[in-house]
Amino acid sequence: MTYCLHIFICLCLIVIQTTVMPYIPLFERFYDLLTPFIIYLSIFRSARESMVIVFIFGFFMDIISGGPFGLYLTAYVWLFISARWAITFLHVGDSLLLPFVVAAGVLMENFLFIGISAMFEQSPRVFEAMVSTIFVQVLWALFTGPFFLMFFNYSHRRWDQWFMKIFVKKN
Amino acid sequence: MFSKKMVMIIGVIVLIAVNIILLSVFNRRYISYYRPGRIATSLIAPFQKASTSSIRFVRDIWRHYFFLVNAAKENDNYQKALNKAFENNIQLKELRLSNSRLRDLLNFEKTITDRVLSAEVIGKDPSPWFKTVLIDKGKNDGIETGMAVVVPKGIAGQVTDVSANYSKVLLIIDHNSAVDALAQNDRARGIIKGGMAGQCLFKYVLRKHDIEIGDIVISSGLDGVFPKGLAVGYVSAVFKPKSGIFQEVTVTPYVDFEKLEEVLIVLNPKKKQFEPEQ
Repeated sequence: MTYCLHIFICLCLIVIQTTVMPYIPLFERFYDLLTPFIIYLSIFRSARESMVIVFIFGFFMDIISGGPFGLYLTAYVWLFISARWAITFLHVGDSLLLPFVVAAGVLMENFLFIGISAMFEQSPRVFEAMVSTIFVQVLWALFTGPFFLMFFNYSHRRWDQWFMKIFVKKN
Repeated sequence: MFSKKMVMIIGVIVLIAVNIILLSVFNRRYISYYRPGRIATSLIAPFQKASTSSIRFVRDIWRHYFFLVNAAKENDNYQKALNKAFENNIQLKELRLSNSRLRDLLNFEKTITDRVLSAEVIGKDPSPWFKTVLIDKGKNDGIETGMAVVVPKGIAGQVTDVSANYSKVLLIIDHNSAVDALAQNDRARGIIKGGMAGQCLFKYVLRKHDIEIGDIVISSGLDGVFPKGLAVGYVSAVFKPKSGIFQEVTVTPYVDFEKLEEVLIVLNPKKKQFEPEQ
Protein backbone atom coordinates (compact mmCIF):
# COMPACT_ATOMS: atom_id res chain seq x y z
CA MET A 1 0.00 0.00 0.00
CA THR A 2 2.93 2.33 0.70
CA TYR A 3 3.97 1.88 -2.92
CA CYS A 4 0.52 3.10 -4.01
CA LEU A 5 1.08 6.33 -2.10
CA HIS A 6 4.57 6.76 -3.56
CA ILE A 7 3.30 6.14 -7.08
CA PHE A 8 0.37 8.52 -6.57
CA ILE A 9 2.64 11.30 -5.26
CA CYS A 10 5.16 10.82 -8.08
CA LEU A 11 2.46 10.83 -10.75
CA CYS A 12 0.97 14.01 -9.32
CA LEU A 13 4.41 15.65 -9.25
CA ILE A 14 5.14 14.67 -12.87
CA VAL A 15 1.74 15.88 -14.09
CA ILE A 16 2.10 19.20 -12.22
CA GLN A 17 5.63 19.65 -13.52
CA THR A 18 4.77 18.95 -17.17
CA THR A 19 1.32 20.47 -17.50
CA VAL A 20 0.67 23.11 -14.84
CA MET A 21 4.01 24.74 -14.15
CA PRO A 22 5.04 25.48 -17.77
CA TYR A 23 2.03 27.80 -18.02
CA ILE A 24 3.00 29.84 -14.97
CA PRO A 25 5.85 32.23 -15.86
CA LEU A 26 7.01 32.41 -12.23
CA PHE A 27 7.91 28.71 -12.25
CA GLU A 28 9.66 28.78 -15.61
CA ARG A 29 12.97 27.73 -14.07
CA PHE A 30 11.72 25.72 -11.13
CA TYR A 31 13.70 22.64 -10.14
CA ASP A 32 12.66 19.05 -10.79
CA LEU A 33 9.85 18.30 -8.33
CA LEU A 34 10.90 14.68 -7.98
CA THR A 35 14.24 15.75 -6.49
CA PRO A 36 12.83 16.54 -3.01
CA PHE A 37 10.82 13.34 -3.17
CA ILE A 38 13.94 11.25 -3.89
CA ILE A 39 15.69 13.04 -1.02
CA TYR A 40 12.70 12.38 1.21
CA LEU A 41 12.81 8.67 0.34
CA SER A 42 16.51 8.42 1.05
CA ILE A 43 16.31 10.23 4.38
CA PHE A 44 13.05 8.99 5.83
CA ARG A 45 12.30 5.65 4.14
CA SER A 46 14.02 2.28 3.86
CA ALA A 47 16.37 1.57 0.96
CA ARG A 48 14.44 -1.50 -0.19
CA GLU A 49 11.16 0.42 -0.34
CA SER A 50 12.72 3.45 -2.03
CA MET A 51 14.91 1.90 -4.72
CA VAL A 52 11.92 0.48 -6.62
CA ILE A 53 10.34 3.92 -6.82
CA VAL A 54 13.66 5.55 -7.74
CA PHE A 55 14.12 3.14 -10.65
CA ILE A 56 10.50 3.26 -11.89
CA PHE A 57 10.22 7.03 -11.88
CA GLY A 58 13.75 7.56 -13.19
CA PHE A 59 12.69 5.45 -16.14
CA PHE A 60 9.37 7.32 -16.50
CA MET A 61 11.11 10.68 -16.52
CA ASP A 62 13.56 9.46 -19.14
CA ILE A 63 10.64 8.44 -21.33
CA ILE A 64 8.91 11.82 -21.20
CA SER A 65 12.05 13.92 -21.36
CA GLY A 66 14.07 14.82 -24.43
CA GLY A 67 17.44 14.16 -22.81
CA PRO A 68 19.73 11.19 -23.37
CA PHE A 69 18.05 7.99 -22.21
CA GLY A 70 19.14 7.05 -18.68
CA LEU A 71 19.84 10.63 -17.63
CA TYR A 72 17.13 10.86 -14.97
CA LEU A 73 17.69 7.28 -13.84
CA THR A 74 21.36 8.03 -13.27
CA ALA A 75 20.62 11.33 -11.53
CA TYR A 76 18.04 9.83 -9.19
CA VAL A 77 20.13 6.77 -8.28
CA TRP A 78 23.19 8.88 -7.45
CA LEU A 79 21.06 11.43 -5.62
CA PHE A 80 19.58 8.63 -3.56
CA ILE A 81 22.99 7.06 -2.82
CA SER A 82 24.51 10.43 -1.89
CA ALA A 83 21.67 11.36 0.44
CA ARG A 84 21.86 7.90 2.11
CA TRP A 85 25.58 8.41 2.56
CA ALA A 86 25.06 11.93 3.94
CA ILE A 87 22.72 10.72 6.68
CA THR A 88 25.44 8.46 8.07
CA PHE A 89 27.33 11.46 9.43
CA LEU A 90 24.84 14.36 9.19
CA HIS A 91 21.62 14.63 11.12
CA VAL A 92 19.74 15.74 8.01
CA GLY A 93 16.36 15.05 9.57
CA ASP A 94 16.95 18.33 11.40
CA SER A 95 14.65 20.93 9.88
CA LEU A 96 17.44 23.54 9.85
CA LEU A 97 19.51 21.45 7.49
CA LEU A 98 16.67 20.50 5.15
CA PRO A 99 16.86 23.56 2.85
CA PHE A 100 20.55 22.93 2.26
CA VAL A 101 20.02 19.23 1.65
CA VAL A 102 17.41 19.93 -1.05
CA ALA A 103 19.53 22.71 -2.57
CA ALA A 104 22.55 20.38 -2.65
CA GLY A 105 20.37 17.72 -4.28
CA VAL A 106 19.19 20.17 -6.97
CA LEU A 107 22.76 21.31 -7.55
CA MET A 108 23.98 17.75 -7.85
CA GLU A 109 21.20 16.81 -10.26
CA ASN A 110 21.99 19.79 -12.48
CA PHE A 111 25.70 18.99 -12.52
CA LEU A 112 24.91 15.41 -13.48
CA PHE A 113 22.59 16.64 -16.25
CA ILE A 114 25.19 19.00 -17.65
CA GLY A 115 27.98 16.45 -17.35
CA ILE A 116 26.06 13.66 -19.03
CA SER A 117 24.64 15.98 -21.72
CA ALA A 118 28.14 17.25 -22.45
CA MET A 119 29.26 13.66 -22.97
CA PHE A 120 26.62 13.00 -25.62
CA GLU A 121 26.01 16.39 -27.24
CA GLN A 122 28.23 17.67 -30.02
CA SER A 123 27.94 21.42 -29.47
CA PRO A 124 28.57 23.09 -26.10
CA ARG A 125 25.85 24.94 -24.20
CA VAL A 126 25.97 28.63 -23.28
CA PHE A 127 27.75 28.89 -19.92
CA GLU A 128 26.03 32.08 -18.64
CA ALA A 129 22.56 30.71 -19.26
CA MET A 130 23.43 27.48 -17.47
CA VAL A 131 24.75 29.31 -14.42
CA SER A 132 21.69 31.54 -14.17
CA THR A 133 19.29 28.57 -14.49
CA ILE A 134 21.13 26.60 -11.81
CA PHE A 135 21.28 29.64 -9.53
CA VAL A 136 17.52 30.22 -9.81
CA GLN A 137 16.79 26.54 -9.20
CA VAL A 138 19.00 26.41 -6.11
CA LEU A 139 17.31 29.53 -4.73
CA TRP A 140 13.90 27.98 -5.29
CA ALA A 141 15.11 24.78 -3.61
CA LEU A 142 16.41 26.66 -0.56
CA PHE A 143 13.08 28.37 0.02
CA THR A 144 10.57 25.73 -1.02
CA GLY A 145 12.41 22.39 -0.67
CA PRO A 146 11.83 21.89 3.08
CA PHE A 147 8.09 22.44 2.66
CA PHE A 148 7.97 19.63 0.12
CA LEU A 149 9.86 17.31 2.47
CA MET A 150 7.58 18.19 5.37
CA PHE A 151 4.52 17.68 3.20
CA PHE A 152 5.72 14.25 2.04
CA ASN A 153 6.50 13.25 5.60
CA TYR A 154 3.14 14.49 6.87
CA SER A 155 1.14 12.76 4.12
CA HIS A 156 3.01 9.56 4.71
CA ARG A 157 2.27 9.59 8.42
CA ARG A 158 -1.41 10.34 7.75
CA TRP A 159 -1.54 7.55 5.22
CA ASP A 160 0.02 5.08 7.66
CA GLN A 161 -2.43 6.11 10.39
CA TRP A 162 -5.39 5.77 8.04
CA PHE A 163 -4.18 2.44 6.78
CA MET A 164 -3.62 1.16 10.30
CA LYS A 165 -7.14 2.19 11.30
CA ILE A 166 -8.66 0.25 8.43
CA PHE A 167 -6.42 -2.73 9.11
CA VAL A 168 -7.33 -2.79 12.85
CA LYS A 169 -11.04 -2.43 12.08
CA LYS A 170 -10.98 -5.36 9.68
CA ASN A 171 -9.27 -7.58 12.22
CA MET B 1 43.17 -8.08 2.39
CA PHE B 2 41.30 -4.85 1.57
CA SER B 3 39.94 -2.47 4.15
CA LYS B 4 36.22 -1.65 4.18
CA LYS B 5 36.93 1.86 2.95
CA MET B 6 38.97 0.52 0.05
CA VAL B 7 36.16 -1.84 -0.96
CA MET B 8 33.71 1.08 -0.84
CA ILE B 9 35.89 3.25 -3.09
CA ILE B 10 36.38 0.43 -5.59
CA GLY B 11 32.62 -0.24 -5.51
CA VAL B 12 31.79 3.39 -6.27
CA ILE B 13 34.33 3.52 -9.12
CA VAL B 14 32.92 0.32 -10.62
CA LEU B 15 29.38 1.69 -10.26
CA ILE B 16 30.35 4.93 -12.04
CA ALA B 17 32.02 2.98 -14.84
CA VAL B 18 29.00 0.69 -15.27
CA ASN B 19 26.73 3.75 -15.23
CA ILE B 20 28.69 5.49 -17.99
CA ILE B 21 28.79 2.33 -20.11
CA LEU B 22 25.03 1.81 -19.72
CA LEU B 23 24.34 5.44 -20.58
CA SER B 24 26.43 5.13 -23.75
CA VAL B 25 24.64 1.93 -24.74
CA PHE B 26 21.15 3.28 -24.10
CA ASN B 27 21.78 6.75 -25.49
CA ARG B 28 19.80 5.99 -28.62
CA ARG B 29 16.47 7.68 -28.66
CA TYR B 30 14.59 4.88 -30.34
CA ILE B 31 15.30 2.55 -27.42
CA SER B 32 13.07 4.63 -25.19
CA TYR B 33 9.88 3.70 -26.98
CA TYR B 34 10.16 -0.05 -26.88
CA ARG B 35 7.41 -1.80 -24.98
CA PRO B 36 8.21 -0.59 -21.41
CA GLY B 37 8.53 2.94 -22.75
CA ARG B 38 5.15 2.74 -24.42
CA ILE B 39 3.59 1.45 -21.22
CA ALA B 40 5.15 4.31 -19.28
CA THR B 41 3.83 6.88 -21.76
CA SER B 42 0.40 5.30 -21.76
CA LEU B 43 0.36 5.52 -17.98
CA ILE B 44 1.42 9.15 -17.68
CA ALA B 45 0.01 10.74 -20.82
CA PRO B 46 -3.72 10.31 -19.96
CA PHE B 47 -3.14 12.15 -16.67
CA GLN B 48 -1.25 14.87 -18.49
CA LYS B 49 -4.03 15.13 -21.05
CA ALA B 50 -6.69 15.34 -18.34
CA SER B 51 -4.72 17.95 -16.45
CA THR B 52 -4.02 20.05 -19.56
CA SER B 53 -7.66 19.85 -20.64
CA SER B 54 -8.82 20.91 -17.18
CA ILE B 55 -6.43 23.85 -17.10
CA ARG B 56 -7.49 24.98 -20.56
CA PHE B 57 -11.14 24.48 -19.72
CA VAL B 58 -10.90 26.66 -16.63
CA ARG B 59 -8.79 29.22 -18.47
CA ASP B 60 -11.20 29.33 -21.39
CA ILE B 61 -14.16 29.83 -19.05
CA TRP B 62 -12.31 32.69 -17.44
CA ARG B 63 -11.32 34.22 -20.74
CA HIS B 64 -14.50 33.80 -22.69
CA TYR B 65 -17.30 33.98 -20.18
CA PHE B 66 -16.20 36.04 -17.23
CA PHE B 67 -13.65 38.31 -18.77
CA LEU B 68 -14.87 40.50 -21.62
CA VAL B 69 -16.74 37.83 -23.55
CA ASN B 70 -17.03 39.62 -26.85
CA ALA B 71 -13.64 41.25 -26.76
CA ALA B 72 -11.90 37.96 -26.13
CA LYS B 73 -13.75 36.25 -28.96
CA GLU B 74 -13.12 39.10 -31.34
CA ASN B 75 -9.49 39.06 -30.35
CA ASP B 76 -9.28 35.34 -31.07
CA ASN B 77 -10.69 35.90 -34.55
CA TYR B 78 -8.30 38.74 -35.26
CA GLN B 79 -5.41 36.65 -34.00
CA LYS B 80 -6.38 33.81 -36.30
CA ALA B 81 -6.78 36.19 -39.25
CA LEU B 82 -3.44 37.78 -38.44
CA ASN B 83 -1.73 34.39 -38.27
CA LYS B 84 -3.27 33.43 -41.59
CA ALA B 85 -2.24 36.72 -43.20
CA PHE B 86 1.26 36.37 -41.78
CA GLU B 87 1.58 32.86 -43.16
CA ASN B 88 0.23 33.97 -46.54
CA ASN B 89 2.59 36.90 -46.61
CA ILE B 90 5.65 34.73 -46.01
CA GLN B 91 4.49 32.18 -48.56
CA LEU B 92 3.73 34.84 -51.17
CA LYS B 93 7.07 36.50 -50.71
CA GLU B 94 8.82 33.18 -51.11
CA LEU B 95 6.68 32.36 -54.13
CA ARG B 96 7.48 35.69 -55.79
CA LEU B 97 11.21 35.27 -55.27
CA SER B 98 11.18 31.70 -56.51
CA ASN B 99 9.15 32.67 -59.56
CA SER B 100 11.45 35.46 -60.59
CA ARG B 101 14.54 33.24 -60.32
CA LEU B 102 13.29 30.01 -61.69
CA ARG B 103 10.34 30.92 -63.92
CA ASP B 104 11.78 29.45 -67.07
CA LEU B 105 13.51 26.52 -65.45
CA LEU B 106 11.15 24.93 -63.02
CA ASN B 107 7.48 24.64 -62.35
CA PHE B 108 6.93 25.81 -58.85
CA GLU B 109 5.23 23.23 -56.72
CA LYS B 110 3.23 23.95 -53.67
CA THR B 111 5.69 23.45 -50.84
CA ILE B 112 3.42 21.95 -48.29
CA THR B 113 0.91 19.21 -48.91
CA ASP B 114 -2.64 19.37 -47.65
CA ARG B 115 -2.25 16.19 -45.65
CA VAL B 116 -1.67 17.53 -42.19
CA LEU B 117 -3.01 16.31 -38.89
CA SER B 118 -3.74 18.58 -35.96
CA ALA B 119 -2.71 17.56 -32.47
CA GLU B 120 -2.86 19.06 -29.03
CA VAL B 121 0.15 19.60 -26.79
CA ILE B 122 -0.54 17.71 -23.57
CA GLY B 123 2.74 17.99 -21.72
CA LYS B 124 6.09 19.71 -21.76
CA ASP B 125 9.56 18.47 -20.95
CA PRO B 126 10.15 18.16 -17.19
CA SER B 127 13.68 19.53 -17.53
CA PRO B 128 14.61 23.12 -18.45
CA TRP B 129 17.65 21.71 -20.30
CA PHE B 130 15.63 19.96 -23.01
CA LYS B 131 12.82 21.28 -25.18
CA THR B 132 10.32 18.60 -26.11
CA VAL B 133 6.55 18.35 -25.93
CA LEU B 134 4.15 15.43 -25.81
CA ILE B 135 1.21 15.49 -28.26
CA ASP B 136 -2.02 13.53 -28.18
CA LYS B 137 -1.62 11.75 -31.53
CA GLY B 138 0.45 8.67 -32.23
CA LYS B 139 1.00 5.67 -34.45
CA ASN B 140 -2.74 4.91 -34.58
CA ASP B 141 -3.28 8.31 -36.23
CA GLY B 142 -0.61 7.71 -38.86
CA ILE B 143 2.24 9.55 -37.18
CA GLU B 144 5.75 8.27 -37.73
CA THR B 145 9.14 9.18 -36.33
CA GLY B 146 10.80 11.99 -38.27
CA MET B 147 7.63 13.77 -39.40
CA ALA B 148 7.69 17.56 -39.46
CA VAL B 149 5.62 19.48 -36.91
CA VAL B 150 4.48 22.97 -37.89
CA VAL B 151 2.12 25.74 -36.78
CA PRO B 152 0.68 28.55 -38.92
CA LYS B 153 3.55 30.85 -37.91
CA GLY B 154 6.27 28.41 -38.91
CA ILE B 155 8.25 25.32 -38.02
CA ALA B 156 7.79 23.91 -34.54
CA GLY B 157 9.82 20.70 -34.49
CA GLN B 158 10.09 17.08 -35.44
CA VAL B 159 8.53 13.86 -34.14
CA THR B 160 11.21 11.84 -32.36
CA ASP B 161 9.28 9.10 -30.57
CA VAL B 162 5.91 7.57 -31.30
CA SER B 163 3.70 5.35 -29.15
CA ALA B 164 0.20 4.13 -29.98
CA ASN B 165 -1.65 7.31 -29.08
CA TYR B 166 1.02 9.81 -28.13
CA SER B 167 4.20 11.21 -29.66
CA LYS B 168 7.17 13.17 -28.48
CA VAL B 169 8.18 16.25 -30.50
CA LEU B 170 11.68 17.71 -30.40
CA LEU B 171 11.27 21.49 -30.72
CA ILE B 172 13.61 23.51 -32.94
CA ILE B 173 14.84 25.41 -29.85
CA ASP B 174 16.25 22.19 -28.37
CA HIS B 175 20.00 21.85 -28.31
CA ASN B 176 19.83 18.59 -30.31
CA SER B 177 17.60 19.94 -33.09
CA ALA B 178 18.89 20.82 -36.57
CA VAL B 179 16.96 22.25 -39.52
CA ASP B 180 18.42 23.02 -42.93
CA ALA B 181 17.51 26.64 -43.64
CA LEU B 182 17.94 29.61 -45.96
CA ALA B 183 17.99 33.35 -45.43
CA GLN B 184 15.08 34.47 -47.58
CA ASN B 185 16.70 37.53 -49.18
CA ASP B 186 20.31 36.49 -49.50
CA ARG B 187 19.68 32.75 -50.06
CA ALA B 188 22.50 32.05 -47.59
CA ARG B 189 22.28 28.47 -46.43
CA GLY B 190 22.94 27.16 -42.94
CA ILE B 191 21.68 24.97 -40.15
CA ILE B 192 19.22 26.19 -37.53
CA LYS B 193 20.23 24.79 -34.15
CA GLY B 194 18.62 25.29 -30.77
CA GLY B 195 20.20 27.96 -28.60
CA MET B 196 19.43 29.29 -25.14
CA ALA B 197 16.44 31.31 -23.89
CA GLY B 198 14.16 30.26 -26.75
CA GLN B 199 16.53 31.49 -29.46
CA CYS B 200 18.08 29.58 -32.34
CA LEU B 201 21.52 29.75 -33.90
CA PHE B 202 21.86 29.91 -37.67
CA LYS B 203 25.12 28.01 -38.00
CA TYR B 204 27.57 27.46 -40.82
CA VAL B 205 26.57 30.61 -42.71
CA LEU B 206 29.54 31.77 -44.77
CA ARG B 207 31.03 35.19 -44.01
CA LYS B 208 30.57 36.31 -47.61
CA HIS B 209 26.79 36.47 -47.19
CA ASP B 210 25.29 39.77 -46.25
CA ILE B 211 22.85 38.82 -43.49
CA GLU B 212 21.03 41.68 -41.80
CA ILE B 213 18.98 41.96 -38.64
CA GLY B 214 15.33 41.39 -39.48
CA ASP B 215 16.01 39.03 -42.40
CA ILE B 216 13.58 36.15 -42.57
CA VAL B 217 14.90 32.61 -42.32
CA ILE B 218 12.97 29.81 -44.02
CA SER B 219 13.34 26.06 -44.32
CA SER B 220 15.35 24.96 -47.35
CA GLY B 221 13.64 21.60 -47.73
CA LEU B 222 17.03 19.97 -48.23
CA ASP B 223 16.91 18.02 -44.98
CA GLY B 224 14.06 15.93 -46.33
CA VAL B 225 11.99 16.59 -43.21
CA PHE B 226 10.57 20.09 -43.48
CA PRO B 227 8.86 21.31 -46.65
CA LYS B 228 10.63 24.19 -48.38
CA GLY B 229 9.60 27.78 -47.68
CA LEU B 230 8.21 27.46 -44.16
CA ALA B 231 9.11 30.34 -41.87
CA VAL B 232 11.56 29.58 -39.09
CA GLY B 233 12.22 33.01 -37.62
CA TYR B 234 13.94 36.31 -38.17
CA VAL B 235 17.56 37.30 -37.68
CA SER B 236 17.97 39.08 -34.35
CA ALA B 237 21.76 39.32 -34.11
CA VAL B 238 24.72 38.98 -36.47
CA PHE B 239 28.36 38.73 -35.48
CA LYS B 240 31.15 38.45 -38.02
CA PRO B 241 34.33 37.33 -36.24
CA LYS B 242 37.63 38.66 -37.55
CA SER B 243 38.81 35.16 -38.36
CA GLY B 244 37.04 32.01 -39.51
CA ILE B 245 34.86 31.24 -42.48
CA PHE B 246 31.48 31.40 -40.80
CA GLN B 247 29.50 34.20 -39.18
CA GLU B 248 27.45 33.86 -35.99
CA VAL B 249 23.78 34.52 -36.58
CA THR B 250 21.06 34.40 -33.93
CA VAL B 251 17.50 33.74 -35.06
CA THR B 252 14.36 34.43 -33.04
CA PRO B 253 11.71 31.86 -33.95
CA TYR B 254 8.29 33.09 -35.03
CA VAL B 255 6.65 30.38 -32.98
CA ASP B 256 6.03 31.23 -29.35
CA PHE B 257 7.01 27.93 -27.77
CA GLU B 258 5.83 29.00 -24.33
CA LYS B 259 2.29 29.21 -25.66
CA LEU B 260 2.36 26.22 -27.98
CA GLU B 261 -0.98 24.45 -27.61
CA GLU B 262 -1.94 23.01 -30.98
CA VAL B 263 0.37 21.82 -33.74
CA LEU B 264 0.07 20.37 -37.24
CA ILE B 265 1.95 17.25 -38.26
CA VAL B 266 2.86 17.04 -41.94
CA LEU B 267 1.88 13.48 -42.79
CA ASN B 268 3.20 13.18 -46.31
CA PRO B 269 5.90 15.61 -47.24
CA LYS B 270 5.89 15.58 -51.04
CA LYS B 271 9.03 13.94 -52.33
CA LYS B 272 10.33 14.81 -55.77
CA GLN B 273 10.08 11.90 -58.15
CA PHE B 274 13.04 11.74 -60.46
CA GLU B 275 12.44 10.05 -63.76
CA PRO B 276 15.11 7.53 -64.62
CA GLU B 277 17.18 8.62 -67.59
CA GLN B 278 16.27 6.87 -70.80
